[in-house]
Amino acid sequence: MTATTAYQVPANLSPTTVANTSSLLRIVALALISGAAIASRLFAVINFESIIHEFDPWFNYRATKVLASEGFYAFWNWFDPTAWYPLGRVVGGTIYPGLMATSGVIYSALRAVHLPVDIRNICVLLAPGFSALTAWATYMFTKEMKDESAGLLAAAFIGIVPGYISRSVAGSYDNEAIAIFLLMFTFFAWIKAMKTGSAFFGTIAALFYFYMVAAWGGYAFITNMIPLHALALILMGRYSSRLYVGYSSWYAVGTLASMQVPFVGFQPVRTSEHMAALGVFGLLQIIAFAELVRSHVSSKQFQTLLFASVIGLGLLGTAAIVGLTYKGWIAPWTGRFYSLWDTGYAKKYIPIIASVSEHQPTAWPSFFMDLQFLIFLFPAGVILCFKQLRDEHVFVIIYAIVASYFAGVMVRLMLTLTPVVCVTAAIAFSTLLDTYLNPEEPEAIDEAPKPEASTSAVAPDTSSAPTKKQKKAAPPPAGSTLAELVTKAPGTSKRKTGVFGLDTRLLVVANAIGMLVFFVWHCTWVTSNAYSSPSVVLASSNPDGSQHIIDDFREAYYWLRQNTAEDAVVMSWWDYGYQIAGMADRPTLVDNNTWNNTHIATVGKAMSSSEEVAYPILRKHDVDYVLVIFGGLIGYSGDDINKFLWMVRIAQGVWPDEIQEPNYFTRTGEYRVDDQAPQTMKDSLMYKMSYYRFAELFGGNQPTDRVRGQQVPKTGPTLDYLDEAFTSENWIVRIYQVKKEDPLGRDLKTANAFEQGKKRKRTKPSPRRKAIA
Amino acid sequence: MLLLHFLALFALPLCLAAVPKDAQSIQEELVKLARANNGVIKLDDRTYDMLTSPKRTWSAAVQLTALDPRRRCAPCKDFDPSFKEVGRAWSGVAAEQRDSHFFATLDFDHAMTVFQKLGIQSAPIVHVYPAADGPRKPANGRTAPSTYDFSFGFEAGPLAEQLSHHTPVPIPYKAPFNWSRWGGIAASGVILIAALRFVGPILQWKWTWALGTVLTSLVMTSGYMFTRIRGAPWTGGNGQWIAPGYQNQFGQETQVVAMIYGLLASAFLMLTVVTPYTSSPSRQKAQVYLWSIVIFIMYSVLLSLFRVKNKGYPFKLLL
Amino acid sequence: MAPSKTSQPTQSNAVLSLWKAYNENTSTRLKSVDAFLVFLMLSGIAQFLYCILVTNYPFNAFLAGFASCVGQFVLTASLRAQVNPQNRSEFKEVSPERAFADFALGSIVLHFFVYNFLG
Repeated sequence: MTATTAYQVPANLSPTTVANTSSLLRIVALALISGAAIASRLFAVINFESIIHEFDPWFNYRATKVLASEGFYAFWNWFDPTAWYPLGRVVGGTIYPGLMATSGVIYSALRAVHLPVDIRNICVLLAPGFSALTAWATYMFTKEMKDESAGLLAAAFIGIVPGYISRSVAGSYDNEAIAIFLLMFTFFAWIKAMKTGSAFFGTIAALFYFYMVAAWGGYAFITNMIPLHALALILMGRYSSRLYVGYSSWYAVGTLASMQVPFVGFQPVRTSEHMAALGVFGLLQIIAFAELVRSHVSSKQFQTLLFASVIGLGLLGTAAIVGLTYKGWIAPWTGRFYSLWDTGYAKKYIPIIASVSEHQPTAWPSFFMDLQFLIFLFPAGVILCFKQLRDEHVFVIIYAIVASYFAGVMVRLMLTLTPVVCVTAAIAFSTLLDTYLNPEEPEAIDEAPKPEASTSAVAPDTSSAPTKKQKKAAPPPAGSTLAELVTKAPGTSKRKTGVFGLDTRLLVVANAIGMLVFFVWHCTWVTSNAYSSPSVVLASSNPDGSQHIIDDFREAYYWLRQNTAEDAVVMSWWDYGYQIAGMADRPTLVDNNTWNNTHIATVGKAMSSSEEVAYPILRKHDVDYVLVIFGGLIGYSGDDINKFLWMVRIAQGVWPDEIQEPNYFTRTGEYRVDDQAPQTMKDSLMYKMSYYRFAELFGGNQPTDRVRGQQVPKTGPTLDYLDEAFTSENWIVRIYQVKKEDPLGRDLKTANAFEQGKKRKRTKPSPRRKAIA
Repeated sequence: MLLLHFLALFALPLCLAAVPKDAQSIQEELVKLARANNGVIKLDDRTYDMLTSPKRTWSAAVQLTALDPRRRCAPCKDFDPSFKEVGRAWSGVAAEQRDSHFFATLDFDHAMTVFQKLGIQSAPIVHVYPAADGPRKPANGRTAPSTYDFSFGFEAGPLAEQLSHHTPVPIPYKAPFNWSRWGGIAASGVILIAALRFVGPILQWKWTWALGTVLTSLVMTSGYMFTRIRGAPWTGGNGQWIAPGYQNQFGQETQVVAMIYGLLASAFLMLTVVTPYTSSPSRQKAQVYLWSIVIFIMYSVLLSLFRVKNKGYPFKLLL
Repeated sequence: MAPSKTSQPTQSNAVLSLWKAYNENTSTRLKSVDAFLVFLMLSGIAQFLYCILVTNYPFNAFLAGFASCVGQFVLTASLRAQVNPQNRSEFKEVSPERAFADFALGSIVLHFFVYNFLG
């Protein structure tokens, strides 16, 4: 053709060759992306060992072990008497079984082909494996938005972006490991269902939605995003039968399927979080019926009546839902979700939710650390979506704005923002590359602009799909030698648009490649430094630079496992419950499930009261050992003294007249552990257990708490009701044994005093002897 | 001699006058004081001792404050209206319950000795004294005062709720109807409907929504909700506008970071969408170079800002 | 918005003309599908009335039965929409045969969950 090109494009390539080569390149690219995704998550396994990380995964691992060893039926009906002693926990009905079931299936499948992989390795490596699947699902999703090249970019981004890696490293065996894959795939199936109007994709979306409900509590996000999208399309006047088919098939099958999970039960018809989906479902039925009637009737008056009755019925339905909520038949928003809207709610009424570090609001460095340059390509991608504004772009826009709000409110929800940022950034980046890799140059202003009907070309290393369905993908007429250029915007202007010159192209493409390379460096650095710590094992560097492993946790848990009776009950703060159950295999009072606030408050009260008050509580709950975490020696700042105020607050919520938070602060309102600490603080069990014999380490010098940066008194606290049982190497974990009652019936304080040589004060004067005359 | 002793008997009524009154009469006097001042007793040294006498059959909530402008206690002024509101709400309770619990306020300038005796160094403080005697004495025998902690802020609602734990019946405090808020909402709704004809096309134009969406997401991803929830100040002292620490930020940082993101995003959009439409090759080249350099420089600025927050970050571009 | 007395005959006229137009313009195939839809709707209403008026125990059985009516209704309505020749322009990728296959698959999956939930 007469078009000039900035650089030489190979001629004599038939379109089928081009198509086949691009498919091959795509498959290879996806395989490499999967490889990169899996590899970048293996730092922890290489640096330390194949171990389950953090806290929650230990419980999932324990449940999976039960599933693998005893079978599905035992797992489904499992009642765990060692958790929340003495209450026990109905595990089968209070978990999301998707994760364990997935591991169980993989385990059985591998054993069926005689590959005896240990269940621990399956659990550790499940997250990286599913991250490769997430990359593929994101590719499919973005392909629907723009084209395959944007899809590949999105897959690459989500494969290595730190925001997703943080919850899916090898060893992080938590629900998010499989949930993000299911999220993206459900969204992909929904978009396909809505685009094609096929009930098949609607059913697929429902099935994967069911899998998601079984896997993660965050499924409520999907339950509200899809109706929000449908509602936005209706309000924009884009109602179509395809939308009806897609949504109805998804809702009908999906809701019924989601009720199969015992933990969810009847919630989809009884709680406010699910009412939006039901409301939009009803609205769609009304509108579909109205459309059907309208197609048969031409009378204008009847049509206006119909329009009015649709709106009226819609309002009536909304009023009915609101009324039922008021009356209490439909439960209001639960605290976990309500606190996302009313951000001060959790701190006042549910301090346990407010105390979790993942629930804190997000500051901007976290965004940049987790997403790097994707975060400023994100708005550019959203604008490009607005430019096209097909039905699926509305979904991405809604997802973008909702996710950015939630990610700002809670650090943990960065995870839901990450996929949409990857998708939109990929769209923006891909459009940029499309513009600047396109070899065709436009006509300069002195030439007469020619209206172009259809010229499209496929550059060798980008694959593109026709933007309009009318454009044939079939081979062009035999006359043309070059393949054909795709026009950029649907409404092509008469003047051709494009980029002049090779140097501009080189500059922009070089810039883009530089940013991509930088992104990879950044992601690798962040992953290896920040997100690959198992948190069960800590690492620090010696003065000479070599790595010093701090293995106190496992040391202490294994001491418990090997040196205590099998039914010895261990009391600790709820953070460590799952780890104690998983590694030490002992009954615990409270653990990370935090379902019983009063039980946790009891533990908090015991920790923050004096020994005399705490001892009856300990004996009542058959506690044999008390475990505290103390970081003052080596400077580990996640210890219990730092968490102590939360213990006090939670206990105060249940016993406000016995525990008051101001008593633990000094007169001036400071939180101190040195000699200025108030008496209540010094008497509390937590303080005593943390600093017992701490001063002895310093050999007469002033003992210093490295975390608080304060100097504790030289005469440390004394313990009458507990015996020190074990202290780990760096004094991080300290275990105390609870003494049994004194056999002579004295209270233990006086018994101790007697042992130390102090005589008991007599209450009655000794009778004077009278001489017998 | 005997006459002197006999005459001393006449002093008995005088002695009786000087003998400390019994709890009943103290209570009556306190009731009168409360009624005289809208439910909140203004205390001085003498009445404070009366109120907190160890024979009290009533409970009391005492506000220790310093309202004098010389003391410059801004929190005291913030909190005082809430306390007065709750006290006034309490005075509406039936007399039998009302008279067994008192609200009182003690100003530093009127009773310096009490402040010194209690060792108070900050204000405002609310002490709650349970009954020390009689039917309302607490079961665990703790008659020492407890302190109300201001973790819920200075609002009257939480104060009433917390103090209701110590009063015989819950304090009937109702937050006053927020006329300004609802009036504002109603007025803006009316204006919107009236101007719908003019506002309509703007609302239907998709770029309005685009602008709104992008601005919202820019603001949210720059950490705006963090500053709102944590109540972070606009800047720190001494002109320092970058908060120290990784999980910390000031209000001004939100603006700066949002603007940087916005500029970078617009530069990308200019490169992608606008420059291909430029028809003159030389102008287009200049634009491409310009926007590419803008991207490079702003990215370097962003990175250096990030390095200030995250000291261990090893990468940098220009700065 | 409510029609006045004088437009009442117009309204009943409109309903009659709607019924006439429907009768004339709809093929027999679609009418049989519509009959099935009406049956499902009546069945669902009957179950719902039973739940409200008599008892809602066991609730999971009610939900399973009601959901099977509702689910089958929407799947059939979707089939009708896809098969209707007036909608050819909207459903470019779904031929009538494909629509029926989708319908069959969706119904099988739906009834699998219904059966599981009946208890």
